[in-house]
Amino acid sequence: MADQSLITDEVRSHIGRTTDLRPVVVTTVAVARAVGVYGGEVPQEGIAPGFVLMNLAPEGQSLHLPNLMPASLLISNEFALERPLQVGEELQARSRIADISERLGGQFGHALYVRTDVEFFDRQGARVGRSASTMMHYDPAGGRQREGER
Amino acid sequence: MTVDLATLREGDEIVPAEITPEPDQVQRYFANSAFAPKFFSDEAAAKAQGLPGRIVPGPLKVGILYGSVARWLGDAGWVVAVRAAHRRPDLQGKPVTVMGTVARLYDEGGKRRADIELQIINQEGQPSVRGFATVEFWR
Repeated sequence: MADQSLITDEVRSHIGRTTDLRPVVVTTVAVARAVGVYGGEVPQEGIAPGFVLMNLAPEGQSLHLPNLMPASLLISNEFALERPLQVGEELQARSRIADISERLGGQFGHALYVRTDVEFFDRQGARVGRSASTMMHYDPAGGRQREGER
Repeated sequence: MTVDLATLREGDEIVPAEITPEPDQVQRYFANSAFAPKFFSDEAAAKAQGLPGRIVPGPLKVGILYGSVARWLGDAGWVVAVRAAHRRPDLQGKPVTVMGTVARLYDEGGKRRADIELQIINQEGQPSVRGFATVEFWR
């Protein structure tokens, strides 16, 4: 029997939901954490590695989706900057559910894909950069069942 | 290492880098994070998720790509963007190789930029990540 779509009107209504702007700071701790991933010196001032943006999320996130699948996995992510970030810089950030789609079949069986964007602005309201990620939500049992079918 | 913009050409390769993402590196990565799923640190939890073992977190692989590009670029400019599509899980403690090629050299907004096509190759020679980066030169 074919799977039924999990993208109900209720789930679809989450697309486009956006948080308020909230403060984030390019702290030396955040920079050290970023540099710790790939090695190198931690700058105490000046230009921060752009990769730090990947882990700067505004606190108090409120973009929770209904729990439709038991497991999830990141399948793509990215960041892009309009200009170099500065260590210690204060930004405003907001998150948005950009899209929800699904795939029936495939390695992991029936999967839902949720793309989330985070935009970052400076004090003047100019966009400094953005990060984005797509999470795949799936049922491991569904994936194993399909493996057995092969 | 600093890339020489005067001699840089489309098709040039960035020096391949062999990297082994270790479990303690993953642990450090999640040290200050509110989001640290158990399957990154627990083999049984990973298997229960249908994964082959403790995998390397996707954001950490973006960091590996970023580091490879930043090291190649040196003081010649800054990394504007990095994008990664995760095709296969990579296991912690298993070496991977980062490879990259200059796909395009161009001017934008009065600045010289390069787009870099990137891959992370696993031990079996399969691409586990297809990536893309844009760098801007100071010049």
